[in-house]
Amino acid sequence: MTAELPAQLPGLADQAGVFRRLRTRLLRNGLRVALDHGRTRLITMLASSVFVFAFTFAVGLYLFTQLAKANVPFKGAIVEALFDLMFFTLGSMLVFSTGLILFASLFNSPESRYLLCSPARADRIFATKFQAAVAFSSWGFVILGIPVFLAFGIVSGVPWYFYALLPAFLLGYVLLPGSVSATLCLLLARYMPQNRKQVLIVVALVMVVVASIWMYRVGIGLKKTFNTGGRELDELIGRFDMLRSGFAPSHWMTRGVMAAARDDLRGALIPLAQVWSNGLVLYVLAAWVARRVYRTAYDRIAGGGRGKKVYGTHFLDRVMETLVFYLDKRTRVLVVKDFRTFRRDPTQWAVLILFGILMLFGASNFRQYYSAGLAVMDRYAVSLMNLSGTAIMLCAGLSRFVFPLISLEGRKFWVLGLTPLSRDQILWGKFVFAATGALVIGELLILVSDALLGLPWQGMLLHAIIMAVVAVGLAGLNVGLGAYLPTFKETDPSKIVVGFGGTVNMVAGLGFLVMIIGLMAVPLHTAQLARGAANVDKAVSLWVYAGVPIGVLLGVVAVVLSLRFGARSLRGMEF
Amino acid sequence: MIDIRGVSKSYGPKIAVQGLDLHVPAGELFAFLGPNGAGKTTTIKMLCGLLFPTQGSVRVGGFDLFADGDQARTLISYVPDQPFLYEKLTGREFLQFTADLYAMPSGKASDKIDEVIELFHLDDFVDDLTERYSHGMRQRTVFAAALVHEPKLLIADEPTVGLDPKSIRELKTLLRRLAASGTTVFLSTHTLDIAQELADRIGIIDHGRLLGCGTMRDLQKLASSDGNLEDLFLKITEEAATEPEPAVSGLVG
Repeated sequence: MTAELPAQLPGLADQAGVFRRLRTRLLRNGLRVALDHGRTRLITMLASSVFVFAFTFAVGLYLFTQLAKANVPFKGAIVEALFDLMFFTLGSMLVFSTGLILFASLFNSPESRYLLCSPARADRIFATKFQAAVAFSSWGFVILGIPVFLAFGIVSGVPWYFYALLPAFLLGYVLLPGSVSATLCLLLARYMPQNRKQVLIVVALVMVVVASIWMYRVGIGLKKTFNTGGRELDELIGRFDMLRSGFAPSHWMTRGVMAAARDDLRGALIPLAQVWSNGLVLYVLAAWVARRVYRTAYDRIAGGGRGKKVYGTHFLDRVMETLVFYLDKRTRVLVVKDFRTFRRDPTQWAVLILFGILMLFGASNFRQYYSAGLAVMDRYAVSLMNLSGTAIMLCAGLSRFVFPLISLEGRKFWVLGLTPLSRDQILWGKFVFAATGALVIGELLILVSDALLGLPWQGMLLHAIIMAVVAVGLAGLNVGLGAYLPTFKETDPSKIVVGFGGTVNMVAGLGFLVMIIGLMAVPLHTAQLARGAANVDKAVSLWVYAGVPIGVLLGVVAVVLSLRFGARSLRGMEF
Repeated sequence: MIDIRGVSKSYGPKIAVQGLDLHVPAGELFAFLGPNGAGKTTTIKMLCGLLFPTQGSVRVGGFDLFADGDQARTLISYVPDQPFLYEKLTGREFLQFTADLYAMPSGKASDKIDEVIELFHLDDFVDDLTERYSHGMRQRTVFAAALVHEPKLLIADEPTVGLDPKSIRELKTLLRRLAASGTTVFLSTHTLDIAQELADRIGIIDHGRLLGCGTMRDLQKLASSDGNLEDLFLKITEEAATEPEPAVSGLVG
């Protein structure tokens, strides 16, 4: 029993209204600042989004036109299977991305700490954070999803309401993985035993590996179907059994979208209602879980896992230091510091390892196919896909982990600013760290996968040169633009990446890749493919290598210009 | 107003607070002192309901922070050492948000907002976005927001950091006035002069244990010294460091 009677309480606030007004004000003020002081930034960001939208639309249009040429029925089982696969893949990705963003914003952000000390209800704080996390993780899904379906609609000829229903379908769908992810995130934070981080990573990796292997098998099935006249169609469809059940949200989406495409409005509205109602129910469930466990979960996260782990020098640190032996001692120290931070965060390198395993696994499987005389895919086509995949993985990885490096120094920048190192050395150190890491990973992946595919040495040499240009060029772009367009106020790297600077960097990186691969790799691969198709034995012309020096020059220009702009910006930075 | 009973808090294997008993009545200005890592901030976070005790209970205004946290928090204002403000709100909008969150009637909220703006001299910048504020401006805005809803308990962690001498003087006067009007003030600080000058009672914590608690006179008696608070603080914490068990029992609470 208490010694005092409870004090008199003020009335209850309409917290939903309070937070709605807060969001409106934040949005209005943010837009006003963007229009008054950052018009160039706003326009660049919009232009980048339009570019991504247009690029996706063009790719979608091309692919659907190819399907039309292959006489694949647009509103039939194969396209349905493709959509099932796409929705399932995007949904799975949204589970992970929303979960990661939500975890950081619920348990590590100063705003959450502030709100948890106020009378704001736990479920209300959760709702605010959930909406922001879903918006952050899903904008890409909407920006990429709409052009794909627009392309589908244009090529296949659909009624007008197909286009009108698209946003409703896509927006409703993001609620489902978002809510599932939020519930899991809260329950894991609340009930997971100590060293939860390792357990979480292992669970996530296992789930991703299982999903990826399944998707890979489906991919093989699809390719076989297109190449053998559809005999394996039943086998392929069989792989989608799990996704085609009435319980799979990805299939509700497919059913609804396909029904709209077939001019069956009723058939489209029922799955739409299914998506929204289930999404909302799951959201309410997540909010209920938040109301019950968020505060105690916060307490657990803040209070747990502080065992006395002794951190020391690892042999990998010495390997890194050896790799950059040509630098002066002080810059080497900086490089090793960045590397140490990287290796102590398993979420960073786990994705790279996973991608590498999948790619090598894929390469060895393709080799088995044409060794067995199936000749499903030409080795040059597959190796070009591997090269592009590795390059895109490096682009995404560097954008996620290297671009925010300067921004993350943030308010601690004075620590580096006051060291006897010049600002140029700091930038140079980060560039060398990024370039070395990207080179080692990129070259290893591409050369091993080329060897597994049995590519001739000329092809492997060309790939090694291309990968070097890509790795060093992307490292320069990411470090340079990271210094030129920093976001010192943001502490969450995932938000820095999707901010203005991050978007510009991503678009610049992808543009760079398209140019390098287009100039340096595509001519040889096209010539070899044509040679294979014509079944001639003549060697390819040396002209296919004409783009190589231009690509190398482009790489040098990208590095020099980015680092020069970045260094100038860093030198002028006050702290 | 504050009733802490047998509270312990562990971070994994590390015990941050152990066996803490503390009662602070309404209208008292209580200063909470201790070296770095002594358990002050953990205690404050438990008082705000941000963390929960591993053992024992924390009550504010009669409400248990674990069972009835939402009610308890309507009585509390917390000014942390690193103040949080929404960067894309103006100071006035932040004050309005705080008033709305505490369900203040609009007329009263408007009057109180004007009052705290004047009290903390925010007029010059209150309609600017807070992203342009200096540390001192942020600290004053956060203080204004903490008082806008007339809390029964004000918890302040190092409130004078970043303030200029004039603002510190005004803050000290304000804290005393708040206590005189019935608001309980729980002050955590390393500035011993301020604690000695303002506090009705002082608690000294180290290694998670409350080593002493009482008026200046009580602490002098405990330390067997007539020195100022700095002398007493050093003597009590140094003596406790050489003893395996809590130094005092009679004066705690």
